[in-house]
Amino acid sequence: MRFCPGCGAALGEAAFVQEYWVAADRHVVCWCPACSVMCTVVLAAALVGTEPEH
Amino acid sequence: MLSAEKNERLTRVGPGTPMGELLRRYWWPVATHDMATRVPVKRRLLGEDLVLFRDGSGTVGLLAEQCPHRRAALWLGCTEEEGLRCGYHGWRFSATGECLEQPGEPADSTFKNRIRATAYPVQELGGLVFAYLGPLPAPELPRYDLFVWDDAWRDIGHAELPCNFVQIMENSVDPYHVEWLHGRYGSFLRELGGAAAPLPVVTKKHVKVAFEVFEHGILKRRVLEGHTEEDEDWKVGHPLVFPHMLRVGAAGLATFQIRVPIDDENTWHVWYQTYRPDGGAPPQSSIPVYEIPLVDERGEYLRDYVDGQDIVAWITQGRISDRTKEHLGRSDLGVIMLRKLYAEQMDAVARGEDPLCTYREPHDVIDLPMERDKFGSAVEFRQLWTRESSVRYSPIRDQVLELFGDPVPAWT
Ligand code: FES
Ligand SMILES: [Fe+2]
Repeated sequence: MRFCPGCGAALGEAAFVQEYWVAADRHVVCWCPACSVMCTVVLAAALVGTEPEH
Repeated sequence: MLSAEKNERLTRVGPGTPMGELLRRYWWPVATHDMATRVPVKRRLLGEDLVLFRDGSGTVGLLAEQCPHRRAALWLGCTEEEGLRCGYHGWRFSATGECLEQPGEPADSTFKNRIRATAYPVQELGGLVFAYLGPLPAPELPRYDLFVWDDAWRDIGHAELPCNFVQIMENSVDPYHVEWLHGRYGSFLRELGGAAAPLPVVTKKHVKVAFEVFEHGILKRRVLEGHTEEDEDWKVGHPLVFPHMLRVGAAGLATFQIRVPIDDENTWHVWYQTYRPDGGAPPQSSIPVYEIPLVDERGEYLRDYVDGQDIVAWITQGRISDRTKEHLGRSDLGVIMLRKLYAEQMDAVARGEDPLCTYREPHDVIDLPMERDKFGSAVEFRQLWTRESSVRYSPIRDQVLELFGDPVPAWT
């Protein structure tokens, strides 16, 4: 993750970018000091859809 | 005299240093048998902080001290049936470093498969736990005779000494010091204490000494005043076992002094004794382990026995002896030979070769040469050594005296 998914600013020295794993998915937590958005980007091994009750 | 650069090359033992890389090609005692228990303990070897444990299934493990999770020390941990669980968040590691469990992570997480603790191979032999910190495949653990005899008693003394290991090793190719440090200085202390007679055995003058590099390290020979080249001190001699041990003793009493670098400035010294009278010793149920004290109740270095004198000579050279200020003489040829041998073997490792005393083939036992009659007679030597060496701290010293049945010497 080199750019903030919220504002597009570069995630430089002051930013936090932390990768962790959930099953086979890579999750990347990003905190952007420019716009203070904190979000998680999921790089999923598979895209899973769930059908809500209908 | 050595340049500062050469002294540094000779004495630095950490990862990535030439000496450190050489020493990582050998198995090192990292603990005595009684230290490897269900309670994990901190050890330090070759400048690396480690944690030693024995899990519920009896497997001994040696991991880098800090947990790969958030770096708490793994001695803050619990041994489980398999492996060691970090005390902080419960991650569990096997003796080979696999992460077996991460209780706080989602059940379907495969995160643990991507995590490893740094783990080093260990083996137990002769009451010691040996570790190998070098590149794999590890060579065989050398089965030196004293570690494997099944008809000997043993005891193990140990102490942490605040100095670099090379100055201790240099002492093992320095035969003259015996007649001065142990002979004259030792007798001087006796004089001050009111004893009439100087010590026997160690006061004998050296007439000739010789050193030769051989398959086990450096073989040391001496002729003492009143003796000839037919005596075993010359004919057989005894070895400095490369890179880290002295073999010393006489018939029935054979010992290793093992110099284990904790880091550049500290050495774990292990006095490993075997007692094996003619015909062998009766079975021994477990090997006693004891600490060798460095100071008396007033905090003064103990110097009233052979090993205490050696220890003070080693320590007072400084944490790392400043060899830019030394002045070697002809009597220091053995020291020069040892430094040369270390340098050659560092180069061998840099070329990708196995250094001296690397064993790649499985073997039963490696027999080392040692005099039966030392400094005259085995009995006289044993009489001295069981009283005036670190053996005086052995919890089984009285049984050892009985085992040999040597008469009480007149000089005591
Ligand atoms: S620091 Fe070891 S489990 Fe968290
Ligand atoms: Fe000595």
